Amino acid sequence: MSVPKSSVFTSASYVSGTLYEIKHSIVKHFHLTDNNKNLQKENIRLRKQTPSFLYKKNRNSMSASDTLYAQQYEYIAATIINSTTTNRNNFFTIDAGEMQGVKRGLGVFSSNGIVGIVHNCSKHFSVVKSVLTSDINIDVMIVENGAFGLLKWDGKNPRYGSISGITNDIKIKTGSKVITRGGSGIFPKGLSVGTVHSITPLEGKPLHFVKLEFAEKYGALQNVYVVKNQFLTELNNLQLQ
Amino acid sequence: MNKLYVLFFRFLLFAVLQVFVFNQLNISSYVHIMIAPLYIMILPFDFSIFRLLIISFFLGAIIDVLSNTFGLHASALVLMAYLRPTVFNWLAPRDGYDPLKTPSIIEMPKKWFLLVFGILLSVHHLWFFAIESFSLSEILLILQKTFFSCLLSFLVCIILQPLFLNKAK
Repeated sequence: MSVPKSSVFTSASYVSGTLYEIKHSIVKHFHLTDNNKNLQKENIRLRKQTPSFLYKKNRNSMSASDTLYAQQYEYIAATIINSTTTNRNNFFTIDAGEMQGVKRGLGVFSSNGIVGIVHNCSKHFSVVKSVLTSDINIDVMIVENGAFGLLKWDGKNPRYGSISGITNDIKIKTGSKVITRGGSGIFPKGLSVGTVHSITPLEGKPLHFVKLEFAEKYGALQNVYVVKNQFLTELNNLQLQ
Repeated sequence: MNKLYVLFFRFLLFAVLQVFVFNQLNISSYVHIMIAPLYIMILPFDFSIFRLLIISFFLGAIIDVLSNTFGLHASALVLMAYLRPTVFNWLAPRDGYDPLKTPSIIEMPKKWFLLVFGILLSVHHLWFFAIESFSLSEILLILQKTFFSCLLSFLVCIILQPLFLNKAK
Protein backbone atom coordinates (compact mmCIF):
# COMPACT_ATOMS: atom_id res chain seq x y z
CA MET A 1 0.00 0.00 0.00
CA SER A 2 1.39 3.38 -0.87
CA VAL A 3 1.23 5.99 1.83
CA PRO A 4 0.76 9.77 1.60
CA LYS A 5 3.83 11.94 1.34
CA SER A 6 2.61 14.95 3.32
CA SER A 7 4.68 15.68 6.39
CA VAL A 8 1.94 17.70 8.10
CA PHE A 9 -0.08 14.64 9.08
CA THR A 10 2.78 12.45 10.29
CA SER A 11 5.04 12.50 13.32
CA ALA A 12 7.47 14.65 11.30
CA SER A 13 5.23 17.65 11.99
CA TYR A 14 6.33 20.11 14.64
CA VAL A 15 3.65 19.38 17.22
CA SER A 16 3.87 15.59 17.20
CA GLY A 17 7.64 15.69 16.78
CA THR A 18 7.93 17.77 19.92
CA LEU A 19 5.53 15.49 21.80
CA TYR A 20 7.62 12.48 20.86
CA GLU A 21 10.78 14.28 21.90
CA ILE A 22 9.28 14.74 25.37
CA LYS A 23 8.36 11.04 25.42
CA HIS A 24 11.84 10.13 24.28
CA SER A 25 13.45 12.17 27.06
CA ILE A 26 11.57 9.96 29.52
CA VAL A 27 12.08 6.52 28.01
CA LYS A 28 15.52 6.91 26.41
CA HIS A 29 17.31 5.38 29.39
CA PHE A 30 15.45 2.09 29.15
CA HIS A 31 17.87 0.61 26.59
CA LEU A 32 20.88 2.69 27.55
CA THR A 33 23.19 -0.23 28.37
CA ASP A 34 22.59 -1.97 25.06
CA ASN A 35 23.00 1.19 23.07
CA ASN A 36 26.21 2.14 24.83
CA LYS A 37 27.66 -1.31 24.25
CA ASN A 38 26.92 -1.07 20.55
CA LEU A 39 28.48 2.36 20.28
CA GLN A 40 31.53 1.15 22.20
CA LYS A 41 31.94 -1.79 19.85
CA GLU A 42 31.74 0.50 16.87
CA ASN A 43 34.27 2.88 18.43
CA ILE A 44 36.75 0.04 18.91
CA ARG A 45 36.30 -1.04 15.32
CA LEU A 46 36.83 2.48 14.05
CA ARG A 47 39.79 3.12 16.33
CA LYS A 48 41.51 0.08 14.88
CA GLN A 49 41.35 1.74 11.49
CA THR A 50 42.75 5.15 12.36
CA PRO A 51 46.41 5.56 11.38
CA SER A 52 47.51 6.76 14.83
CA PHE A 53 46.61 3.38 16.33
CA LEU A 54 48.43 1.36 13.69
CA TYR A 55 52.09 0.45 13.66
CA LYS A 56 53.89 1.82 10.64
CA LYS A 57 55.66 -1.14 9.01
CA ASN A 58 57.21 0.55 6.06
CA ARG A 59 58.00 4.11 6.97
CA ASN A 60 59.32 5.12 3.58
CA SER A 61 56.11 4.59 1.63
CA MET A 62 53.81 6.52 3.95
CA SER A 63 52.32 8.98 1.55
CA ALA A 64 48.57 9.32 1.26
CA SER A 65 47.63 11.45 -1.66
CA ASP A 66 44.32 13.25 -1.43
CA THR A 67 43.81 13.06 -5.15
CA LEU A 68 43.19 9.33 -4.88
CA TYR A 69 40.09 9.48 -2.69
CA ALA A 70 37.16 11.82 -2.61
CA GLN A 71 34.45 11.57 -0.02
CA GLN A 72 31.40 9.98 -1.61
CA TYR A 73 29.15 9.60 1.43
CA GLU A 74 28.22 12.11 4.06
CA TYR A 75 26.84 11.01 7.43
CA ILE A 76 24.39 12.75 9.73
CA ALA A 77 23.99 11.44 13.28
CA ALA A 78 20.42 11.18 14.59
CA THR A 79 18.43 9.67 17.44
CA ILE A 80 15.25 7.65 17.08
CA ILE A 81 12.57 9.32 19.20
CA ASN A 82 9.64 7.09 18.27
CA SER A 83 9.41 3.67 16.73
CA THR A 84 7.11 0.70 16.30
CA THR A 85 8.12 -2.82 15.34
CA THR A 86 4.85 -4.74 15.42
CA ASN A 87 2.65 -2.99 12.84
CA ARG A 88 2.50 -4.23 9.26
CA ASN A 89 4.33 -1.09 8.16
CA ASN A 90 6.65 0.38 10.75
CA PHE A 91 7.96 3.92 10.75
CA PHE A 92 10.65 5.49 12.92
CA THR A 93 10.76 9.18 13.81
CA ILE A 94 14.26 10.67 14.09
CA ASP A 95 15.28 14.02 15.51
CA ALA A 96 17.08 15.31 12.42
CA GLY A 97 15.37 17.14 9.57
CA GLU A 98 15.93 19.51 6.69
CA MET A 99 18.03 21.78 8.90
CA GLN A 100 20.59 18.99 9.31
CA GLY A 101 20.49 18.17 5.61
CA VAL A 102 18.15 15.17 5.70
CA LYS A 103 16.11 14.70 2.54
CA ARG A 104 13.46 12.28 1.33
CA GLY A 105 15.00 9.07 -0.02
CA LEU A 106 18.23 9.03 1.97
CA GLY A 107 19.35 5.81 3.65
CA VAL A 108 19.46 5.30 7.42
CA PHE A 109 21.68 2.75 9.18
CA SER A 110 22.97 1.99 12.65
CA SER A 111 26.22 0.54 13.92
CA ASN A 112 24.88 -3.01 13.49
CA GLY A 113 22.94 -2.84 10.25
CA ILE A 114 20.64 -0.95 7.94
CA VAL A 115 17.51 0.66 9.36
CA GLY A 116 15.49 2.15 6.53
CA ILE A 117 14.93 4.98 4.08
CA VAL A 118 13.77 8.52 4.91
CA HIS A 119 10.08 8.77 4.02
CA ASN A 120 9.52 12.46 4.57
CA CYS A 121 10.94 15.24 6.69
CA SER A 122 10.10 18.56 8.24
CA LYS A 123 12.44 21.26 9.50
CA HIS A 124 13.53 19.41 12.66
CA PHE A 125 12.26 15.83 12.34
CA SER A 126 12.06 13.04 9.80
CA VAL A 127 9.97 9.92 9.42
CA VAL A 128 11.97 6.87 8.38
CA LYS A 129 10.33 3.96 6.60
CA SER A 130 12.06 1.07 8.34
CA VAL A 131 13.04 -2.26 6.77
CA LEU A 132 10.02 -3.63 8.64
CA THR A 133 7.58 -2.49 5.91
CA SER A 134 5.95 -4.43 3.11
CA ASP A 135 7.60 -2.63 0.18
CA ILE A 136 11.05 -1.66 1.40
CA ASN A 137 12.92 -3.52 -1.43
CA ILE A 138 16.54 -2.67 -0.60
CA ASP A 139 19.00 -4.51 -2.81
CA VAL A 140 21.18 -6.82 -0.74
CA MET A 141 23.76 -9.50 -1.54
CA ILE A 142 25.24 -12.55 0.10
CA VAL A 143 28.94 -12.01 0.79
CA GLU A 144 30.21 -15.49 -0.09
CA ASN A 145 29.00 -15.82 -3.67
CA GLY A 146 27.66 -12.41 -4.57
CA ALA A 147 24.10 -13.63 -5.09
CA PHE A 148 21.78 -10.67 -4.84
CA GLY A 149 18.10 -10.01 -4.37
CA LEU A 150 15.62 -7.64 -2.78
CA LEU A 151 15.03 -7.43 0.95
CA LYS A 152 11.43 -8.18 2.02
CA TRP A 153 9.53 -8.40 5.30
CA ASP A 154 6.45 -10.56 5.83
CA GLY A 155 5.02 -8.67 8.79
CA LYS A 156 5.30 -11.44 11.36
CA ASN A 157 8.55 -11.33 13.29
CA PRO A 158 10.71 -8.20 13.53
CA ARG A 159 13.81 -10.42 13.87
CA TYR A 160 13.54 -12.09 10.47
CA GLY A 161 13.23 -10.85 6.90
CA SER A 162 13.71 -12.56 3.56
CA ILE A 163 15.55 -12.07 0.27
CA SER A 164 13.57 -12.56 -2.91
CA GLY A 165 14.82 -13.35 -6.38
CA ILE A 166 17.76 -15.69 -5.71
CA THR A 167 17.68 -18.52 -8.27
CA ASN A 168 18.14 -22.07 -7.03
CA ASP A 169 21.25 -22.81 -9.09
CA ILE A 170 23.24 -20.80 -6.57
CA LYS A 171 24.43 -22.68 -3.48
CA ILE A 172 23.90 -20.75 -0.26
CA LYS A 173 25.03 -21.76 3.22
CA THR A 174 23.08 -20.87 6.33
CA GLY A 175 24.94 -18.40 8.47
CA SER A 176 26.60 -16.53 5.62
CA LYS A 177 26.64 -12.78 5.94
CA VAL A 178 24.29 -10.52 4.01
CA ILE A 179 25.34 -6.96 3.14
CA THR A 180 23.95 -4.08 1.10
CA ARG A 181 24.81 -4.19 -2.60
CA GLY A 182 24.89 -0.46 -3.14
CA GLY A 183 23.25 -0.70 -6.53
CA SER A 184 20.67 2.02 -6.06
CA GLY A 185 23.18 4.41 -4.55
CA ILE A 186 21.14 4.95 -1.40
CA PHE A 187 23.40 2.86 0.83
CA PRO A 188 27.14 2.39 0.39
CA LYS A 189 28.17 -1.14 -0.53
CA GLY A 190 28.99 -3.46 2.36
CA LEU A 191 26.74 -2.28 5.19
CA SER A 192 25.72 -5.23 7.31
CA VAL A 193 22.10 -6.40 7.00
CA GLY A 194 22.06 -9.78 8.72
CA THR A 195 22.85 -13.45 8.32
CA VAL A 196 21.13 -16.20 6.32
CA HIS A 197 18.90 -18.13 8.71
CA SER A 198 17.38 -20.83 6.50
CA ILE A 199 16.89 -21.71 2.82
CA THR A 200 13.79 -23.44 1.46
CA PRO A 201 12.91 -24.11 -2.20
CA LEU A 202 9.89 -22.22 -3.55
CA GLU A 203 7.33 -24.53 -5.03
CA GLY A 204 6.87 -24.24 -8.79
CA LYS A 205 9.56 -21.60 -9.23
CA PRO A 206 13.31 -21.89 -9.82
CA LEU A 207 13.92 -19.74 -6.76
CA HIS A 208 15.16 -20.08 -3.20
CA PHE A 209 13.22 -18.65 -0.29
CA VAL A 210 16.05 -17.19 1.79
CA LYS A 211 15.11 -16.32 5.34
CA LEU A 212 17.37 -13.76 6.91
CA GLU A 213 18.03 -12.86 10.51
CA PHE A 214 18.48 -9.11 10.92
CA ALA A 215 21.73 -8.00 12.55
CA GLU A 216 20.02 -5.10 14.27
CA LYS A 217 17.44 -5.42 17.03
CA TYR A 218 14.98 -2.78 15.88
CA GLY A 219 13.03 -2.74 19.11
CA ALA A 220 15.87 -1.28 21.18
CA LEU A 221 17.45 0.97 18.61
CA GLN A 222 18.31 4.59 19.33
CA ASN A 223 21.43 5.88 17.61
CA VAL A 224 21.37 5.96 13.82
CA TYR A 225 23.17 7.64 10.93
CA VAL A 226 21.60 9.14 7.84
CA VAL A 227 23.80 8.57 4.81
CA LYS A 228 23.89 10.96 1.88
CA ASN A 229 25.46 9.92 -1.42
CA GLN A 230 27.09 12.94 -3.08
CA PHE A 231 27.02 11.27 -6.49
CA LEU A 232 23.43 10.04 -6.32
CA THR A 233 22.01 12.42 -8.98
CA GLU A 234 24.92 11.60 -11.26
CA LEU A 235 24.25 7.87 -10.83
CA ASN A 236 20.52 8.25 -11.39
CA ASN A 237 20.97 10.41 -14.49
CA LEU A 238 23.38 7.86 -15.94
CA GLN A 239 21.08 4.94 -15.27
CA LEU A 240 18.09 6.73 -16.77
CA GLN A 241 19.82 7.22 -20.10
CA MET B 1 -22.71 21.18 30.10
CA ASN B 2 -20.71 19.31 32.67
CA LYS B 3 -21.09 16.20 30.58
CA LEU B 4 -19.38 17.80 27.56
CA TYR B 5 -16.33 18.62 29.65
CA VAL B 6 -16.12 15.01 30.73
CA LEU B 7 -16.42 13.80 27.14
CA PHE B 8 -13.73 16.19 25.94
CA PHE B 9 -11.34 15.29 28.74
CA ARG B 10 -11.95 11.61 28.07
CA PHE B 11 -11.25 12.22 24.36
CA LEU B 12 -7.77 13.58 25.13
CA LEU B 13 -7.14 10.85 27.68
CA PHE B 14 -7.95 8.08 25.23
CA ALA B 15 -5.84 9.64 22.47
CA VAL B 16 -2.85 10.05 24.80
CA LEU B 17 -3.24 6.57 26.29
CA GLN B 18 -3.50 4.97 22.86
CA VAL B 19 -0.51 6.79 21.36
CA PHE B 20 1.91 7.04 24.25
CA VAL B 21 1.13 3.86 26.16
CA PHE B 22 -0.53 1.15 24.09
CA ASN B 23 1.19 1.94 20.77
CA GLN B 24 4.56 1.88 22.54
CA LEU B 25 4.15 -1.58 24.02
CA ASN B 26 5.20 -3.51 20.87
CA ILE B 27 4.24 -6.85 22.44
CA SER B 28 4.23 -8.96 19.28
CA SER B 29 3.27 -8.66 15.61
CA TYR B 30 0.01 -10.38 16.40
CA VAL B 31 -1.03 -8.26 19.35
CA HIS B 32 -1.86 -4.62 18.87
CA ILE B 33 -3.97 -3.29 21.73
CA MET B 34 -6.44 -0.60 20.70
CA ILE B 35 -8.54 1.21 23.27
CA ALA B 36 -9.89 4.00 21.05
CA PRO B 37 -12.99 1.91 20.09
CA LEU B 38 -14.01 1.97 23.75
CA TYR B 39 -14.36 5.76 23.59
CA ILE B 40 -16.78 5.52 20.65
CA MET B 41 -18.63 2.74 22.45
CA ILE B 42 -19.28 4.71 25.65
CA LEU B 43 -20.48 7.93 24.01
CA PRO B 44 -24.05 8.70 25.18
CA PHE B 45 -27.02 6.84 23.70
CA ASP B 46 -28.73 9.97 22.35
CA PHE B 47 -25.81 11.08 20.14
CA SER B 48 -26.83 11.21 16.48
CA ILE B 49 -24.90 9.22 13.90
CA PHE B 50 -23.57 12.48 12.44
CA ARG B 51 -22.00 13.44 15.75
CA LEU B 52 -20.58 9.94 16.22
CA LEU B 53 -18.90 10.02 12.80
CA ILE B 54 -17.35 13.46 13.35
CA ILE B 55 -16.03 12.58 16.81
CA SER B 56 -14.64 9.22 15.72
CA PHE B 57 -12.96 10.76 12.69
CA PHE B 58 -11.16 13.34 14.80
CA LEU B 59 -10.13 10.84 17.45
CA GLY B 60 -8.78 8.53 14.74
CA ALA B 61 -7.06 11.34 12.87
CA ILE B 62 -5.24 12.52 16.01
CA ILE B 63 -4.01 8.99 16.73
CA ASP B 64 -2.97 8.59 13.07
CA VAL B 65 -0.99 11.81 12.99
CA LEU B 66 0.90 10.82 16.11
CA SER B 67 1.63 7.22 15.18
CA ASN B 68 2.34 7.39 11.41
CA THR B 69 -0.57 5.17 10.42
CA PHE B 70 -1.91 7.48 7.67
CA GLY B 71 -5.68 7.25 8.23
CA LEU B 72 -5.90 3.65 9.44
CA HIS B 73 -7.32 4.45 12.88
CA ALA B 74 -9.62 7.13 11.46
CA SER B 75 -11.18 4.84 8.88
CA ALA B 76 -11.61 1.93 11.30
CA LEU B 77 -13.19 4.16 13.97
CA VAL B 78 -15.53 5.85 11.48
CA LEU B 79 -16.70 2.43 10.28
CA MET B 80 -17.30 1.38 13.87
CA ALA B 81 -19.19 4.59 14.68
CA TYR B 82 -21.31 4.11 11.57
CA LEU B 83 -22.28 0.59 12.64
CA ARG B 84 -22.92 1.50 16.29
CA PRO B 85 -26.57 2.65 15.96
CA THR B 86 -27.39 -0.38 13.82
CA VAL B 87 -25.95 -2.88 16.28
CA PHE B 88 -27.62 -0.99 19.16
CA ASN B 89 -30.97 -1.30 17.39
CA TRP B 90 -30.54 -5.03 16.84
CA LEU B 91 -29.96 -5.72 20.49
CA ALA B 92 -32.21 -3.06 22.01
CA PRO B 93 -34.10 -4.05 25.18
CA ARG B 94 -37.88 -4.26 24.92
CA ASP B 95 -38.57 -0.80 26.35
CA GLY B 96 -35.66 0.95 24.59
CA TYR B 97 -32.53 2.52 26.01
CA ASP B 98 -32.43 4.90 28.95
CA PRO B 99 -30.73 8.02 27.49
CA LEU B 100 -29.37 8.97 30.93
CA LYS B 101 -27.18 5.91 31.07
CA THR B 102 -23.88 5.38 29.28
CA PRO B 103 -23.41 2.20 27.23
CA SER B 104 -20.69 0.81 29.49
CA ILE B 105 -20.31 -2.49 31.30
CA ILE B 106 -21.04 -0.76 34.61
CA GLU B 107 -24.46 0.67 33.79
CA MET B 108 -25.75 -1.80 31.24
CA PRO B 109 -26.33 -5.56 31.54
CA LYS B 110 -23.01 -7.40 31.23
CA LYS B 111 -24.29 -9.78 28.56
CA TRP B 112 -25.52 -6.90 26.42
CA PHE B 113 -22.21 -5.07 26.63
CA LEU B 114 -20.10 -8.14 25.85
CA LEU B 115 -22.16 -8.90 22.77
CA VAL B 116 -22.43 -5.37 21.34
CA PHE B 117 -18.86 -4.37 22.07
CA GLY B 118 -17.61 -7.76 20.86
CA ILE B 119 -19.27 -7.28 17.46
CA LEU B 120 -18.13 -3.67 17.05
CA LEU B 121 -14.57 -4.38 18.20
CA SER B 122 -14.18 -7.35 15.84
CA VAL B 123 -15.37 -5.29 12.87
CA HIS B 124 -13.04 -2.46 13.87
CA HIS B 125 -10.02 -4.74 14.21
CA LEU B 126 -10.73 -6.72 11.05
CA TRP B 127 -11.05 -3.51 9.03
CA PHE B 128 -7.91 -2.06 10.63
CA PHE B 129 -5.65 -5.04 9.89
CA ALA B 130 -7.15 -5.67 6.44
CA ILE B 131 -6.47 -2.10 5.35
CA GLU B 132 -3.05 -2.15 7.03
CA SER B 133 -1.90 -5.19 5.02
CA PHE B 134 -4.02 -4.33 1.96
CA SER B 135 -3.37 -7.64 0.22
CA LEU B 136 -5.48 -10.78 -0.01
CA SER B 137 -2.41 -13.03 0.07
CA GLU B 138 -1.96 -12.12 3.73
CA ILE B 139 -5.51 -13.07 4.74
CA LEU B 140 -4.28 -15.63 7.27
CA LEU B 141 -2.03 -13.08 8.95
CA ILE B 142 -4.90 -10.58 9.01
CA LEU B 143 -7.25 -13.08 10.68
CA GLN B 144 -4.63 -14.16 13.23
CA LYS B 145 -3.86 -10.55 14.08
CA THR B 146 -7.56 -9.73 14.38
CA PHE B 147 -8.21 -12.68 16.68
CA PHE B 148 -5.34 -12.17 19.14
CA SER B 149 -5.58 -8.38 19.17
CA CYS B 150 -9.33 -8.52 19.70
CA LEU B 151 -8.95 -10.75 22.74
CA LEU B 152 -6.42 -8.49 24.40
CA SER B 153 -8.09 -5.20 23.43
CA PHE B 154 -11.36 -6.53 24.81
CA LEU B 155 -9.74 -7.51 28.10
CA VAL B 156 -7.98 -4.15 28.47
CA CYS B 157 -11.18 -2.25 27.60
CA ILE B 158 -13.10 -4.12 30.28
CA ILE B 159 -10.40 -3.47 32.88
CA LEU B 160 -10.27 0.23 31.97
CA GLN B 161 -13.97 0.94 32.46
CA PRO B 162 -14.16 0.74 36.27
CA LEU B 163 -11.11 3.02 36.36
CA PHE B 164 -12.58 5.85 34.27
CA LEU B 165 -16.31 5.59 34.69
CA ASN B 166 -18.43 5.78 37.76
CA LYS B 167 -21.97 4.77 38.29
CA ALA B 168 -24.64 7.39 37.62
CA LYS B 169 -26.51 8.38 40.74
